[in-house]
Amino acid sequence: MRRRDFATGALAAASAAVLPRGAAQAQEKVTLSFLHKWPEPTYMAFFQKVVQEYEAAHPDISIKMDAVADDPYKAKIRVVMASGNIPDIYFSWSGEYAHQFVRAGRALDITAALQAPEWQGRWSAAMLEPFRFDGKLYGVPMNQSAAVFAYNRAIFARVGVTPPQNWSELLAVCEKLKAAGVTPIALGTQAPWTAAHYIGDLNAKLVPAATRAADYTLAAPEDKLFTDPGYTEALTRFQELLTKGYFNRSPNAMTMAMVRGSFASGREGMILTEIVTLDPMRSAKIGTDGLGMFPIPPIEDGRGDQKAVTGAPDGFLISSATQHPKQALDFLNVLTSRANGALYTKQTGRPSATIGAVTTDNASAEVLQGVALLQGASAMSLWLDTVIENRIAAVYLAGAQALMGGTATPAQVMENVRKTALEVKREGV
Amino acid sequence: MTGWRARMAPYALLAPMLALVAVFVYLPILANIRFSFYRWSSLSPTWVFVGLANYRRLFADPLFWSSLGNNAIYAVASLAVQVACGLVLAAVLESTLLPRRLSGCFRVALFIPSVLPITAIGLLWQLLYQPAFGLVNAALETVGLGQFVHAWLGEESTALLSVVAVSQWQWTGYIAVLFVVAIRGIPRELYESAEIDGAGLIRQFFSITVPSVRQTTFVLVMITIFGAVKVFDIVWIMTGGGPNNASQTLGTYMYRSAFQTDAVGYGATIAVLMFALSSVFGLLNLWLQRRGE
Repeated sequence: MRRRDFATGALAAASAAVLPRGAAQAQEKVTLSFLHKWPEPTYMAFFQKVVQEYEAAHPDISIKMDAVADDPYKAKIRVVMASGNIPDIYFSWSGEYAHQFVRAGRALDITAALQAPEWQGRWSAAMLEPFRFDGKLYGVPMNQSAAVFAYNRAIFARVGVTPPQNWSELLAVCEKLKAAGVTPIALGTQAPWTAAHYIGDLNAKLVPAATRAADYTLAAPEDKLFTDPGYTEALTRFQELLTKGYFNRSPNAMTMAMVRGSFASGREGMILTEIVTLDPMRSAKIGTDGLGMFPIPPIEDGRGDQKAVTGAPDGFLISSATQHPKQALDFLNVLTSRANGALYTKQTGRPSATIGAVTTDNASAEVLQGVALLQGASAMSLWLDTVIENRIAAVYLAGAQALMGGTATPAQVMENVRKTALEVKREGV
Repeated sequence: MTGWRARMAPYALLAPMLALVAVFVYLPILANIRFSFYRWSSLSPTWVFVGLANYRRLFADPLFWSSLGNNAIYAVASLAVQVACGLVLAAVLESTLLPRRLSGCFRVALFIPSVLPITAIGLLWQLLYQPAFGLVNAALETVGLGQFVHAWLGEESTALLSVVAVSQWQWTGYIAVLFVVAIRGIPRELYESAEIDGAGLIRQFFSITVPSVRQTTFVLVMITIFGAVKVFDIVWIMTGGGPNNASQTLGTYMYRSAFQTDAVGYGATIAVLMFALSSVFGLLNLWLQRRGE
């Protein structure tokens, strides 16, 4: 009897000591699930640091972070969406890619939230625009990128050429490089998204902006859809670079990793690439100062927007089904602050989208040049394969491979694009 | 055990396995058939019932037919190289032409590609097929066959066959080893008496070896055809189905439809077709096997 009383008493005393009391009893632990596409060590180190600091500053919030690489992410996010277990915060490319989530009702409208004072001065309008649909904002930009030409300074100096100011000068530079026995431009289209950089930019420069917007969103009337001659001209100019011998042989057999490696070992004169790859390409061969960059040159008589920059932000969407929108927004606020943005750029080499985060302390001159280019752009022309509907993009990219393989003409490719666009439009996606 | 319990015992022992197979194999197959009657995007919670529209679209889709053609090429090549040449290799390995130990070494060497991880194989052969610095073109030029140099994975005319060739390299040894096991079951006396009767090695192969391994051949033909219908990983890694859909197979097209172009119902339709094809070949094979007995 006495032993049992003693045990009960001890148990009661122990539990009284352990259980929280008073106001603390009302506090519940909030768990935010966070999915992104950067499992690489340099990126994870950054995210883990931010998460740990945030959890330390907010003991009532716990963040469950998960990451899968770029290509598997596209499949994972679909599986996750279909399963209904949607993360509170998840990564998304901007433009049509993010629009899919918005249309499916999976993204939270944060227009009002972003009016709050703690968000002001964070991003330029150009960064937010690709996350705005029907006038409402849905996404928080994390980083920015643009397609630019990187060039080998030593080769340019040796051959006696300078960065071209327009498309004809670009062709002249290529001709001089070719005559000197140097492959002018490195290109690998085994994964066809690399061609999307060229075609997307040429479309922006050759097709009037309003027409292009109507075509990309399938808002154009059926008989006008993708009929502008600028589209065919864009493909012709792209193919011209191959037929004139300005690309390396057989781009379809080369992966982008192979051609970047080739350019970094000093073989080709130029490569069209994203800002984020500039610093990693500085190798022993090309040298730390051996690499320069210039924007994709404007086309003299192009009917499109010559000041549009092919680039895009990417960032995060918040699930429309989240139980904790305030906490999710707060975490994103901390994640994209200027200090964390600077740290992100410094640790990963990828330019943060936050104004003032990319400085000479954490970025090379060429990356800063790229960021300035984006800030000064009249508009951003997003990556072709994320800005148009998936099936049309698939046909466009397969067509680009056909152009590189010489098995289709620009007119034939556009005919296929037109046909698919009509099909998709009629299905009423 | 009493009568009732003795009769129930086998079923009771099978039940757990049957339950697992039902839940993880048959249920998904039925669910997949159901999915093929809907149009839905994995991102959206809404499904739209479209009846047979996906099937109508599939049969009118030129990419489906070209993918099916590619699978057919895969099947024919696999049967000719893996099964036929595999049997010949096995016969050579087990014949008196090679000393025992050497035969063992060759067997191991032929078998090794089948245990390599598929990603490693894909990347390895991507480098070998590289037009500018890959070994394949370098070897062709060294032996004076420079006119056959191609951008193997980059040209529409050679992309599929290049991937098919890698599959044969990977699996022929595996099939040969399975045939070796079958050949070892053939009584030695048959060969000895044939030799006494004056039959040469080739005659012995066709008259003794081939008929005796019939059961194994049927099974391996079935496995090879199933593999050819389902092929996905090696194609996806080496070419992604390109360039310009030249190496697209049913498996890669299905994956692309469901997970990249967001048409899950359409992807399910392709999967149903693949299941139907495999079933038809499987049943045909079984029927031929039964007939032969």
